[in-house]
Amino acid sequence: MWGKRSKSIFSVFLVVAIICLLSIYIYGHWQNGRISWKLTLTGKEGTKELTFYQIKEMSSYQGWGGFFTSVGVVNGPDKYKGVPVEDLCAQVGGISPKDCLWVFSPDGYSMVFSYEQVRGDFVAYDPQTLKEIPARGLKMLLGYEKNKTFFTEEEGKPLRIVLAGRQKLLTEGHYWVKWVNKIEVRPVKKGLREDEG
Amino acid sequence: MKVKQIIAGIILAGLFLSLNACGLREKEKPKLKVIYAGSLIQPLEEASKQFNKLYPEVEVETEGHGSIQVIRYVTDLGKKADVLLVADYSLISSLMYDDYANWYIKFATNQLVIAYTEKSKYAAKINSANWYEILSLPEVKFGLAHPLLDACGYRSLMAIQLAELYYQKPNIFKYLIANNFDPSVKVQKDDGNYTIFIPEVIKPLSQKVSLRGGSIQVLALLDAGLIDYAFEYRSVALQHGLKFVELPPQINLSSPVCDDFYRRVKVNFGFQRFSAIGNEQAGKVIFYGLTIPKNARNPLWAEEYVKFILGPEGKKIFTEHEHPVIPPEADNLYQIPPALAPFIKKEKTW
Repeated sequence: MWGKRSKSIFSVFLVVAIICLLSIYIYGHWQNGRISWKLTLTGKEGTKELTFYQIKEMSSYQGWGGFFTSVGVVNGPDKYKGVPVEDLCAQVGGISPKDCLWVFSPDGYSMVFSYEQVRGDFVAYDPQTLKEIPARGLKMLLGYEKNKTFFTEEEGKPLRIVLAGRQKLLTEGHYWVKWVNKIEVRPVKKGLREDEG
Repeated sequence: MKVKQIIAGIILAGLFLSLNACGLREKEKPKLKVIYAGSLIQPLEEASKQFNKLYPEVEVETEGHGSIQVIRYVTDLGKKADVLLVADYSLISSLMYDDYANWYIKFATNQLVIAYTEKSKYAAKINSANWYEILSLPEVKFGLAHPLLDACGYRSLMAIQLAELYYQKPNIFKYLIANNFDPSVKVQKDDGNYTIFIPEVIKPLSQKVSLRGGSIQVLALLDAGLIDYAFEYRSVALQHGLKFVELPPQINLSSPVCDDFYRRVKVNFGFQRFSAIGNEQAGKVIFYGLTIPKNARNPLWAEEYVKFILGPEGKKIFTEHEHPVIPPEADNLYQIPPALAPFIKKEKTW
């Protein structure tokens, strides 16, 4: 019924159609797998927006970290990877002892860290006894990996604050802000003595 | 022959799958998710265990958090919970009404005390009339929960400011708190009312005062002898076998008679940790509240659980764990599940 030529045209058309459909399917999957999260950094030198992949390309730090909740439920220690928060601050003019760091997530949670905390000054706890122990070399990270895999949604995908170091220690859970999308360096508001009030 | 065997196998597998789908397989137990305020950990864990013994056909899952996080579990994080129990009943109406809940029941209370051990300096001398003098001595160290992170922390600051009014000593807050932090903590007086301004970053100037994220971590300092005294809830001090100084009812935030007095002190937070919560908290009586969220997965089991907590078994467990309960009061008697009505003393009268 069909001529030889028609059959050839139909075959070519079929192959092209299959290739197109496959490309759309693969592209869709690739897009779905891509993380479109953006981090807004604000500091003395203005505001900057970084994609998840730009953050991942920055020089990273790996270390052990873990935390416990207000009722003592322990998470970790696990191996975390992320970018030192100080390096992120440096992108917008750095952070000094007169500044503090505001960290926000889109679910309405925020936390303020002192300059000393940004440099790793936290009380640390033994994972077995939950007793305070001295911590050396803790780093505050904007983490993106736990045990070599990206965070799950529950863990704060794609970016969360992580306190990590060489020792297997825990810190208080409220500092581990999940789903971080905004970081701001702000000058510390000057406090007043009671009698000045 | 081979084809017949394959067809028979497929038919058998299909039958097996259909039987499973029809529910002939053992059914999974319903799960009852209970989220509670951290200071309820001991009585709530025990109550949940006892409830599970009584009703083995349901699986109780418990999780403890700070009270605001308990509410956010449902409102901001979009998770499902069957019963919520918080250390401040007013959070339920202010953060959950009317989308997530429309009633609460006040069922327990607490009070602030100053916990200490035998090793604490001046342990033999401290009492409810001189505690602020002992705490201000240079050689005495004390701790409290971080006021920006834990309700026990800002309630401790309120108690210290109320002490000034009660004892009529104008410098108690200054010597115990304001002078020991950098940036300092400012108190503004306005027409006999006081607002404590907590800076966004609050750091002790020395080891005289220690702050920790939660009141349990403060207890660890006391236990290790790193501090002499700690501001704590009475139930927590008793549960940990600590000695404590009872504070007068005008200070300890437990007496409904003193509620107007408590309201003379407010705290203003240097940053809004939770966007849903305002920047200020006024002093008020400590009352724990509970509710069943509108989107609970197992509301009938949730009702059973609440009945258990409010009933004689629950009261007994709370009393055994030194956590004081009150005759349950509902704010909205017409909205609570009818099964709970017999447990309610009366509708809100405050």
